[in-house]
Amino acid sequence: MIQEFGLPDHRPRGRNWAKPLWDAWGVALSAFAVLVIFATLVFLALRLLPGDPTELILGDQATAAERAQLAAKLGFNASLPVQYLRYLAGLLRLDLGASLSHPERAAFACVASALKSTSTLALISVGFGSVGGVLAALLSVGPWLGKYRGQMHSAILVVAATPLLAFAPLATWIFAVRLAWTPLPGDPENGAWGLLFAAALLSLPLGAQVARIGRASLMEQEGAQFLDVARAKGASSVRVWCIHALPVAAAPILVVLATQLGALLGGAVVLERFFERPGLGTLMLEAYAARDFPVLEASIVAAGLLFVIVQVVAAGCIGFLDPRGNRP
Amino acid sequence: MHRLSGSTGEQAMKGPTRVSIVRALAPLGLLFMGSWSVIVFTSGNARRFTLEQAWCRPSLGHILGCADGGIDVAKFVAFAIGYVLLLALSVAVIGAILGTVLGATAAFLGGAFEQVLLKACDLVQSFPNFLLALAVLAAVEQPRRWHIGAVFVLTAWAGFARLAAVQSRKLVIAEFVIAARAFGASRSSILRRHIVPHVLGPVAIQVGTVAAGVVIGESALAFVGLGPADGISLGVLIEQGAVGMLRAPHVLIFSACAVALASGACQLAAEGLRLWVRRS
Repeated sequence: MIQEFGLPDHRPRGRNWAKPLWDAWGVALSAFAVLVIFATLVFLALRLLPGDPTELILGDQATAAERAQLAAKLGFNASLPVQYLRYLAGLLRLDLGASLSHPERAAFACVASALKSTSTLALISVGFGSVGGVLAALLSVGPWLGKYRGQMHSAILVVAATPLLAFAPLATWIFAVRLAWTPLPGDPENGAWGLLFAAALLSLPLGAQVARIGRASLMEQEGAQFLDVARAKGASSVRVWCIHALPVAAAPILVVLATQLGALLGGAVVLERFFERPGLGTLMLEAYAARDFPVLEASIVAAGLLFVIVQVVAAGCIGFLDPRGNRP
Repeated sequence: MHRLSGSTGEQAMKGPTRVSIVRALAPLGLLFMGSWSVIVFTSGNARRFTLEQAWCRPSLGHILGCADGGIDVAKFVAFAIGYVLLLALSVAVIGAILGTVLGATAAFLGGAFEQVLLKACDLVQSFPNFLLALAVLAAVEQPRRWHIGAVFVLTAWAGFARLAAVQSRKLVIAEFVIAARAFGASRSSILRRHIVPHVLGPVAIQVGTVAAGVVIGESALAFVGLGPADGISLGVLIEQGAVGMLRAPHVLIFSACAVALASGACQLAAEGLRLWVRRS
């Protein structure tokens, strides 16, 4: 009937699963394009180095024969396009050859073992950051804090504005040196506490961004009719904000989580260096210092891939969480 | 620009005062002038070693104490802040000029060019800056300060371009632009008198934000060992402080505070610019 009169169809309908998947596919395609551009950039940056890479690796004591041997091993004597095609093929097969500083290990094997500790750190801090950030956002809009809501908001803004590089050393000094609550950075036996402390530090800027955006997103829902209906039905303020408002406000929070991952990876590099933890950041910096090209290429591309995967997953999740954008 | 009239309008305009604008812009100005007057008026370089004073505590001779090799922390911090603020402001201004020109042109031309530009902004903005910096800086044997600046410009323009494109797109169909067109104003005069002033506001705010990001980014790069070749960066000092955390915590504390101060001053300046744009 509705269609016959040409009226807009507002009848409730089941979830449209195709649209979010299609969106995620679009994001995946453009993300893949970024990855290819990025891998190319890495390739060119390392090949167009001003000095002779074999000399950088072997030192100036090496003979010409040794250098020629290494150049042959790395494929440097082929023309640039051939090298590029080989490099792309190697990326597809996840095989960029052996590490130069540890010839017994493949470059991607080094990356895989480093990824394990970095992803543990990143996952724990995303967990801390999202839970803490959403809690802070709820507290800064809900009625629980009374007149201190404003202070909560200022606290969020201050944390969001403070760089990790400034407060991580200060917090470490206070908690590890003065109070001796947490192990010292670089302590080989710092175990789980060291990991949790590092993750908590890494989660603070993320949490502050989540809280900032979450608060803005929740504020938009503040006067919404469906919340009034819930209140009229006698729902408690916890129920109103957490069950009714939060899912509607969740999409921007997910976007922030996905876009902050780049900052998280950068922060992880800094924190791994600071706490002397093994990980992707440490691996990259070591490979950079030793000019271990296969490992450097593999680790940068792996980090890019990680980033791209998270973007795609986030795009898919947003589609499922907020079906309003999915109407065909 | 257009001032509203009438009582409600007057109330709406009763926003930021001149005092609050100056208060927000002052820290950056003072920090910049202060550090550059130290750089210009003191003799000798910031990394002079006096080995017998290594890691000594703050005293009258060295107000902020000494770091590794007896480097005077106060002098080093002043040099590092001066250099990093100059770098940050140049990156932000170059990025702003590049991005605004690109974005505004795209909004005027529309069509495929605009689509491509916005897509390119998406790509650049979505990628982790730190990885990009690492990949590009790996190509130079010993990165100099302008190499680091170039890496930041590589990503900074995108934010400005998007901002300028979105803003000019909105302005092209704004009522006062249509009115100006109806009065027979030429295209260039519309651009100059109506579009550009309105685009500059948001762009000015973004300059402060980008500058703060560069301050933090440069320090982080220097902290992990990818800093400028002359070694004068707050990140280098934080690294030294982390090493000497147990015997001389003052190095760590002062250097961390200096990073927070420099980036905070830039962010505050962005806020000041926002108030100033709202006022004018």
